[in-house]
Amino acid sequence: MGTTVPPTAVVGPPPPARMPDRWLVLLIAVGGALGSAALIFLAATSESLQQRSVSATLGIWLTVPYIAGGLIAWRRRPESRLGLLMVIAGFVIWANFLAWSSNSLLYTFGAAVQFLVPAVLLHVFLAFPNGHLRSRLDRGVVATGYGAMALTLARMVLGEGGERNLLALVDNPDLVRSLRGVQLALVSAVLLTGTVSLVLRRHREPPLRTPLSFLAYACSLGLAMIAVLYSVQLAAWTSVLESVRYTTFAIIGLAPIVFLVAILQARLGRASVGELVEALGVNQGPADLQEAVARALRDPSVRLAYWLPEFDSYADVDGRKLELEDSPGRSSTAVKRDEQTVAMLLHDSALDDEPRLLSAVVSAIGMTIENAQLQVELRARLEELRGSRARILQAEQSERRRLERDLHDGAQQRLIALSLELGELGDRLDGDVELRTRIDTVREEVTASLAELRDLARGIHPAAVSDHGLAVALESVATRAGIPVQLIGATPDRLPEPVELAAFYIVCEALANVARHAAASSAVVELHRNAGLLTVEVRDDGIGGASADIGSGLRGLADRVEALGGRLQVWSPVGQGTRLRAEIPCG
Amino acid sequence: MRVMIAEDNVLLREGLVRLLTESGIEVTGTSGNADKLLVLVDDDPPDVTIVDIRMPPTHTDEGLKAALKIRARHPGVGVLVLSQYVEVGLAMQLLGDSAAGAGYLLKDRVSNVKEFMDAVSRVADGGSAIDPTIVSALISKQRKRDPLDRLTPREREVLALMAEGRSNQGIADRFVITLRAVEKYVSSIFSKLDLPTTGSDSKRVLAVLLYLRG
Repeated sequence: MGTTVPPTAVVGPPPPARMPDRWLVLLIAVGGALGSAALIFLAATSESLQQRSVSATLGIWLTVPYIAGGLIAWRRRPESRLGLLMVIAGFVIWANFLAWSSNSLLYTFGAAVQFLVPAVLLHVFLAFPNGHLRSRLDRGVVATGYGAMALTLARMVLGEGGERNLLALVDNPDLVRSLRGVQLALVSAVLLTGTVSLVLRRHREPPLRTPLSFLAYACSLGLAMIAVLYSVQLAAWTSVLESVRYTTFAIIGLAPIVFLVAILQARLGRASVGELVEALGVNQGPADLQEAVARALRDPSVRLAYWLPEFDSYADVDGRKLELEDSPGRSSTAVKRDEQTVAMLLHDSALDDEPRLLSAVVSAIGMTIENAQLQVELRARLEELRGSRARILQAEQSERRRLERDLHDGAQQRLIALSLELGELGDRLDGDVELRTRIDTVREEVTASLAELRDLARGIHPAAVSDHGLAVALESVATRAGIPVQLIGATPDRLPEPVELAAFYIVCEALANVARHAAASSAVVELHRNAGLLTVEVRDDGIGGASADIGSGLRGLADRVEALGGRLQVWSPVGQGTRLRAEIPCG
Repeated sequence: MRVMIAEDNVLLREGLVRLLTESGIEVTGTSGNADKLLVLVDDDPPDVTIVDIRMPPTHTDEGLKAALKIRARHPGVGVLVLSQYVEVGLAMQLLGDSAAGAGYLLKDRVSNVKEFMDAVSRVADGGSAIDPTIVSALISKQRKRDPLDRLTPREREVLALMAEGRSNQGIADRFVITLRAVEKYVSSIFSKLDLPTTGSDSKRVLAVLLYLRG
C-alpha cells in the first residue's frame, strides 16, 4: 500500500458549538418565569388596558414559547444559534408589553421597543434553521426592520403617548400620525419582502428535511399576517382588525414550537442512522452504500468519493477518477478509518447544520467501507485496463500503418521503377524476339510480385481507410463481396482513425462470415452516426442460427470495439438471418 | 504532347520522365509534391498531368485533391492519377460528373509501355483511362437479378473495354475485328442493359461506370 495522503476537503462542517452552561439556562428560565408573573401583574393593574385577562393570556402566549422553546433548542442544538435568537425574541416581546404599565419609565421602555417585535420575529423566521441569515437580501430586510426603531423614537420625541412618555420634547400630533403611517408601511414592506424571501428559499433548496421543516416555513404566513395587520391599521379599517389579530397571534405563538421540533429532528435522523448501520450489514456494493447514505441523510445528491491510495486519487462508485472541487452549495466530510481518510462524503451544504447527524453517518460507514473501497479499486483497475487495451491497440495500429507505408514507399516503389525500366528495355529490343520474350516474362513476374505485395500491404493495414475514409474503403468491400451488398449511410465525413478501422474490420469480417456460413442471397451494411455514437449494422437474409458464441474473428473485433468503449452484439435466430451490430463511441 | 509529372519517389519520377521523353513527349515540369504541381499547372497548363495520389506531407490523398483542383480550374488539362491501390469510390470522386480528360490507374501499369502511352494520350486528348482492376471488380460485382447475365462473354469483354475508356477503334484493334463489328456489340450491349446511347467516348465511360456501380 502506498503512503499517499488524500487531499483534504475544501469545505467542511463548522466545529461543534459549545452547549450553554446549565446555570445560565436555569437563570434565564427563572427570569422568564418571573417575567411572566410580572406580565400578569402588569395586566391586572394596568389602567390603560380594557380586557385585562385577555391581554395577560396573550402576553404569556407570545412570550413563554419563545423563551422556553429557545432555551430547549439552545441546549439541545448548540450548533444552531436559532435557540439563543428565540430566547432574545421572547424577551423583546416581553419588554414590549411593559407599555401596559402606568409607570412612566416602564411605559417609555415598552413603547420604545414596540416596533422591535416585528423585526426580531422576522430575524427568527429568516434565520431558521441554523440561526444565520444566509443572503444579502435577508440581512438587508432584518437590518431595515431593526432600523425602523428610529422612527418609533422620533414619534416619541414628538410627543406620542402623552404624559407617561418620558422622551417627549414637543407635541406635534400631526407629524406623529404621518410618521406612524410611514413606519407601518415600511415595516409591512419589510415583513412582506422577508416572507417572499422565505417562500423563494423554500423553492430553491433541495428537499432535504421532513415535512416538519415545511411546516416551519409555513409559519412565515404569520409574518405576512403581521404585515396585513399593520396595513389594516394604516387604512384605519378596524372592523377586520380583531379576527386578523387573533389568528396572527396564534400563528406567531405556535411558530417557536414548530421551530423547536424541526431543529430537533436530527434525532429522527439518528433513527435513520440505525437503519443505515443495518443496511451496511446487508448491502456491500459501493452504489448500494451510497444510496443507503443518501437515504440516511435524506439528501439524494449524496456522492461517495473513495480514496484509492494506489491510484493517488479519488474515484466514484464506478471506479472512475473523481476530482474534488469546491462548488457552491456543496460540502464534503471525510470518512475515516483508523485515523486515515478512506473516502469523502460529498453532500448538500445544508447538512452542515447537522454536524451530529453527519458525524454519526460518517462513523457508521467508516466501519464498513473497506469492502466497498476494494470493489471501487477493482473497478478502477478494470477502467485502467480498458485504457491500456486501447493504447495497445493504438500502438499496434500505428505500427501496422508504418509497415504498410514502408512497403509502399520502399519495396513497391522500387519494384515499379524496376518494371518500368524492364518495360523500356523490352521496347528497345525490337529485333531480338527471344530476349524480348524473356524480358516480358520477368516484367510480368515483377508485376505479379507487385500485386502480391499490394495484397500483403492491404492485409497489414487497410490504407484506403486511413487515406480516404470509411465510405471509400467500404464501397470496395461491398463491390467485391460474394453476394449483393447494399451500403447505406456511408458518408465522406471522417471519424477518428481507430473508430473507422474498427468499423471497417467489422464489416469485412461480418461479410466474410455471411459468405462462409449464412447461405444468404443478399446483405445490408448500414452505418448510422448519432450523438457521438457510430452504429455499424450488417444483416443478411440467410439461415441464421449462428452460434451464440461469436466466432474467433469476431471475438477479436469485439475486443477492439470494447477497447474503444463500445459494444458488439449478434442476433441470429434460426431461419431469420443474422444481424450484427457494433456501437462505437466516436466523439 | 506536353506533360507534367508529380511524383515524390525520385527513382520513379526520373523513370517516368525518361520513358515519356524517349517516346517523343515533352515533359514541361516535374514536382515532388502537390502544391508545386498546382503552381506549375497554373503557370503553364500542359496537355496532361500525371499525379501520384499519395504525396507529402501526409501521404494520404494530396494527389487526389490536387487532381480535383486541376480538373476544376483547367478543364482542358487531362489528369492521370496513379496509385498504389485503386478504389471504386475514388475513381468516381475523380470523375465527378464527367470522365473527359480523366484517368485513374494502378502505378504498376507504367511497366507496360505501350498500354501506358496509350492511356496518357487518351487522357491528353480528352478521353479517359480507368484501371482494368476497377472495371473487372464492377463487372463481377454481385447483383440481384443481374442484367449483365444477359450479355454474351464477348459482349462483357467489350463492355469492360468501354468502361476502361477505350474507343471503338481501340476495341477493334484489341480484338482484331472490324469497327463495324464493335459498333454492333456496343449497340447490343446498350439495348440489353437498357442504357441510353451517348455521344462521346468519355460520356459513354461515365454512363457505363455509373450503371455498373449501381
